[in-house]
Amino acid sequence: MKKIISIFFIPLVYFFASCENKTNRDQEGLIVYQENQISWTRNFEPLNPVSICRWPTRGGIYEPLYIYNPISTEWVPWLATNYEWKNDNRKLLFSIRTGVKWSDGREFSAYDVAYTLNLWKQFPALDTRNAWDYLQNVVAISDTLVEVDFKRVYVPGFEAIAGAYIVPKHIWSKLDDPLKFDNPDPVGTGPYTEVLRFNSQVWELGKNHNYWQKGKPHVEKLIFPTFSTNEQTTLALLSGNLDWAGAFIPAIQRIFVDKNPEHHHYWFRNTGYSTFLHTNTKDPILQDTNVRKAISYAINREQVVKVGMYNYTSPAHVTSLAGPMAKWHSPKINEKENWTAFNLEKANELLDDAGYKWKNKNERIDSNGSPLKFNIIVVSGWSDWVRSAQVISQNLKKVGIQATVRTYDFGAWIARMQQGNFQMAVGWADKGATPYNFFKSMMFSEYVKPLGETADINWHRFGIKEADFLIKEFEQTSDENKIKNIIYKLQHLFIEHAPGIPLFAELSWAECNSKYFTNFPSAENPYGPLSVNEQPSFIFTLLNIKKR
Amino acid sequence: MNKSILYISRRFGFYLIAAFAALTLNFIIPRLMPGDPASIIFARFKGKLKPEAIDAMRESFGLTNDPIITQYASYLKGILQGDLGISIAYFPEPVSEIIGGGLIWTIFLAGSSMVIAFLIGTTLGVIIAWNRTGKLDTILPPALAFFGAFPYFWLAMVVLYIFGFSMNWFPIGRAFGNEVNPGLNTPYLLSVLYHAFLPALTLVFVSLGGWMLSMRNTMISTLGSDYITFANAKGIPSRLIMLRYAARNAILPNLTGFGMALGFMLSGALLTEMIFSYPGQGFLLLQAVQSQDYPLMQGIFMTITLAVLGANWLVDIAILFFDPRTRR
Repeated sequence: MKKIISIFFIPLVYFFASCENKTNRDQEGLIVYQENQISWTRNFEPLNPVSICRWPTRGGIYEPLYIYNPISTEWVPWLATNYEWKNDNRKLLFSIRTGVKWSDGREFSAYDVAYTLNLWKQFPALDTRNAWDYLQNVVAISDTLVEVDFKRVYVPGFEAIAGAYIVPKHIWSKLDDPLKFDNPDPVGTGPYTEVLRFNSQVWELGKNHNYWQKGKPHVEKLIFPTFSTNEQTTLALLSGNLDWAGAFIPAIQRIFVDKNPEHHHYWFRNTGYSTFLHTNTKDPILQDTNVRKAISYAINREQVVKVGMYNYTSPAHVTSLAGPMAKWHSPKINEKENWTAFNLEKANELLDDAGYKWKNKNERIDSNGSPLKFNIIVVSGWSDWVRSAQVISQNLKKVGIQATVRTYDFGAWIARMQQGNFQMAVGWADKGATPYNFFKSMMFSEYVKPLGETADINWHRFGIKEADFLIKEFEQTSDENKIKNIIYKLQHLFIEHAPGIPLFAELSWAECNSKYFTNFPSAENPYGPLSVNEQPSFIFTLLNIKKR
Repeated sequence: MNKSILYISRRFGFYLIAAFAALTLNFIIPRLMPGDPASIIFARFKGKLKPEAIDAMRESFGLTNDPIITQYASYLKGILQGDLGISIAYFPEPVSEIIGGGLIWTIFLAGSSMVIAFLIGTTLGVIIAWNRTGKLDTILPPALAFFGAFPYFWLAMVVLYIFGFSMNWFPIGRAFGNEVNPGLNTPYLLSVLYHAFLPALTLVFVSLGGWMLSMRNTMISTLGSDYITFANAKGIPSRLIMLRYAARNAILPNLTGFGMALGFMLSGALLTEMIFSYPGQGFLLLQAVQSQDYPLMQGIFMTITLAVLGANWLVDIAILFFDPRTRR
């Protein structure tokens, strides 16, 4: 056998290895992993939400007026330099930056901005935020000034307009059908715009030599090989053939960091929001607020985080807001009930009071004598959440509730969620620059659909009038103090009604290998997110990474 | 000769009917899956899209609420025109282009390793059946059955880790290297072979045993036949008996098996493709199923169906050549 290896295998390896230089990787290019793909399709179209464009089209090739920095929680002026609300929040003026050029050398102006926003009106499929529901008119008054008129006052509309990826009028106006456009040769204002080569296995994106931030970006080009699984990504990170990635890696300290602590880094940043145990509030038992609170009290979140989440994250705050979102916490928060704290006594007390008696010391029964039994549905293969659900199921047994974990394929899971065909489920909640989106998704009664009808949001089907009132008030005001007060009141409502059960803080996965490149952000130097998945704020990082 | 043509065309007619039935099933089955594509894609944005945008998404996917008969008619019409629609998971690429890109690699990798495994396995089967008490016959069948019993993904991961990562002999993924440019040039072709080596090795390794054992078993029963004894008695050279008399007859079941295995090849290389990051049909199919990409799913199932039927038809012709009884 040894003979066979030596006469057949070794020469073969040498033969191949001599044809291809594996150890000398291209050190001029930053190798990035963002999406699981097995072969690339050449698509750089940023507007169509269903168009599967290559990273970093949205943010790196096409830029918005303002970029939200999720760490400082500020809106950073980008293609615009300033904005102003006028006429009792019915008019929004943007001053557009001068000296910006498209990568083909043409001048960028307010007319491109107005054109892009009007494109949404012309093709509703591009209007992902339904902006023309509240917009009246968008015009460029001069090369540097865009005026946005509102049909009705809707202040959160700022996020949609400021975050719009601006496309060049001189290209898009010549298209027959922008909905079927795949934009193979992009012309943008971003730092990387030149497609240097493109084949099914690897492609490269070069620097925009006309970029408006002089001297940036530092890195000559970005390289994108295909990666199909997280295992492949991990091996490539370890072998130095991948510099920057946004992948989930289990036991990362042992598997990745310990192998080379000098260069192997990760930063699983708290996004400010939480992963939820959603409870269907149309369920005859779960509609009782006290039952939901009892379930929450019974969950040992420390254990969930340890067993389910590799101890990467931390137990959720009762408002679900933490990390960068903690600045929104109401000053009265400590006087309120803290039902995300682990407290079996309190859980038992609430269940006793709700009329669910013990039977045989191992289960509780309702007034009809049937046991308290639920299903927790989770997406199969999302192993961290599946494990978390299993821990929760164990925890609930101690207070006499039988919760069975059932896993479904993503499509089947989402269909059940949307139609309200579930009792409990581990899932995510809506988020945004302010907690407004989150509270709206949790408590806005106009989003509540009857069971069996498809609800794209508010799967747990909870709504109350007080919240509707506050949310509508929020939409009318641009006054910071008023905004704060509304968010405080929404938190109080959330704590009082427990429309859903926050489990643990949500993180964004991010790793880097600083062998060839340096100046990646970290918890100590948090100038931007390390995660490539944080669109478009990864651009802060992209502009600051340097070659060693 | 006329009878042979009649036989071939009769088989062809049979496969035509089978193809039509398969295409109809292909239309129905994806529609029985839970969930609708626009909602699923919407959900993938995890709250970054506003719910109001979902109707707009339906519109741009061209998802209609037409009656199912109308959809079926336009589906059949599309197939006849070679138009398989636009993919949802790779919007706005046409399905035919995406499948074309994946199919080439699957046929290359899985196809060539299957042919290699078939040839080596069958030859080994002939040899060990001929020398039934030899060393090879005592070692090979149990050894290969042993390796064949390993879960494939585990074996592939181990091979990838040892030869790809630890020893750094072979690349750990993809169909060719970062530095080469696709086309008819030597560095590219060598790179393709280099990258295909490890995945092909694992595929050959796990399927070798099956071909070898089935060949060995039929070969042994053939060797017990009277006409072999007679041929021996006549003094025909033993090499001729082994190949022309015994192996030629014993190979028939293996040939039929080959036609069947082609279908598994097109869909079954999924694990290989996942582990070695190799582009191909299997991974496409997985993505299509995960994102409810009906057009892509249908396209892939259709190519698999047509390939299996086509391969079986070719096997029928090959059997016609090997087995004179079918010509009668």
